[in-house]
Amino acid sequence: MAKNITIFTTNTCAYCGMVKKWLSAKGMHYEEVNLDQHPERQAEALEISGALTVPVTVVTKEDDSKEVVVGYNLAKLAPAVA
Amino acid sequence: MAEEQKHQVVMIGAGPASLAAAVYTTREDIETLLFEKGVIGGLAAITDWVDNYPGFPKGLAGLDLAESLRQQAERFGAKIELGEVMSIKDEGTYKRLATTSGDILAEAVLIATGSDYKKLGIPGEQEYYGRGVHYCATCDGAFYRDKHLVVVGGGNSAVQESLFLTKFASKIDLLVRSELRASEVLIHELEKHKDKITVHTNVTTDEIVGKDSKVEKVVGTDTKTGKKREFPTDGVFVFIGLDPNTGFLADSGVELDELRLVKTDVNLQTSMPGVFAAGDVRSGATMQIASAVGEGATAALMIRKYLEDAHQTHEMPAVPATVNAE
Ligand SMILES: Cc1cc2nc3c(=O)[nH]c(=O)nc-3n(C[C@H](O)[C@H](O)[C@H](O)COP(=O)(O)OP(=O)(O)OC[C@H]3O[C@@H](n4cnc5c(N)ncnc54)[C@H](O)[C@@H]3O)c2cc1C
Repeated sequence: MAKNITIFTTNTCAYCGMVKKWLSAKGMHYEEVNLDQHPERQAEALEISGALTVPVTVVTKEDDSKEVVVGYNLAKLAPAVA
Repeated sequence: MAEEQKHQVVMIGAGPASLAAAVYTTREDIETLLFEKGVIGGLAAITDWVDNYPGFPKGLAGLDLAESLRQQAERFGAKIELGEVMSIKDEGTYKRLATTSGDILAEAVLIATGSDYKKLGIPGEQEYYGRGVHYCATCDGAFYRDKHLVVVGGGNSAVQESLFLTKFASKIDLLVRSELRASEVLIHELEKHKDKITVHTNVTTDEIVGKDSKVEKVVGTDTKTGKKREFPTDGVFVFIGLDPNTGFLADSGVELDELRLVKTDVNLQTSMPGVFAAGDVRSGATMQIASAVGEGATAALMIRKYLEDAHQTHEMPAVPATVNAE
């Protein structure tokens, strides 16, 4: 089970919308960090994911371990939030 | 064993072509399921700004157009499943589709899978993918605020995306293998952004070089002089054309042309009866949102005719083989 979900997004990123839509359809809550509104957090997204891309979804599990999913990748996202 | 789900129409892809088709089929009460493996709205959704879609004199954001198409299709009852279709098989009345959610059966199928970005296939491209090499400006452009970029390509997409990237980048080198092939309007726009975008024609892109997981430069060749050229950069965006999403049709019997686009007859029906194709994936398509939407509408009417003929019922008003005005 996911304790906490954070998604790094930008205004124009269509794949970010898909991740949000998929999580909402599953009734899951998430916190969104929009990098257009918070460019100062870009370095954080890069450090977490190792990638210069969004969406980056950070799933914090019950035991506080974290799983990072880069891009719109349901094959990885579904087990990460299960 | 549980019986497979049976559907009247399954549409593969939920880009403009399928979403438009779904508006027509569902409005006629034809049960319709769409499968989408990527973004609802397809390539239109990841296009920053669309200036040439009729009915919007000021243009509109691709993402907004995609969202409106989705809402309209869903309003009439279209269902969109997030998943991929992996193969299609003709079993007579029904077509069997293998999907990420299991096998399903469909009386009629619309293939509207569009295309994906072509890769350069040069050293460094795979290694720095997502960390300096990108194919989607609206997704990854924001990481290059005040940075230096190289854009590769000479067609409409490359120019359009370079213009979008000027919102972020301080300087862009546009590398064009031969001459620019973009529309007059876009070339005019390019002129207006001369302060940021420098066009280098007759330059090939040979290698992407970096250090410590960071892109540092692009190495190319001036095809007129044969001299090597180097372009220092923080990132590379590649827009060199598209590859049709038809891999899943291998061995299906659905005929493709030499570019691997789906062949259709005048009714947009493929070589497999009951399977239609529309939009960018269709051989002869003009690769525009307006034409994808138009083909989607036509395909929907042809599907209705096909289902009527198959059922031989007279419950629905007869439709001529040509499009009826409504
Ligand atoms: C950068 C760029 C800018 C553009 N700008 C413009 C413009 O300004 N004006 C204009 O008119 N056109 C523009 N175009 C072209 C336009 O986007 C396309 O013509 C249009 O999106 C085609 O629609 P489609 O439905 O045929 O295919 P697509 O939009 O490509 O949609 C196909 C969908 O099918 C999905 N799919 C593929 N395979 C499968 C599978 N096996 N299972 C499930 N789903 C699958 C894909 O994920 C995709 O979402 C642009 C294109 C690009 C790349």
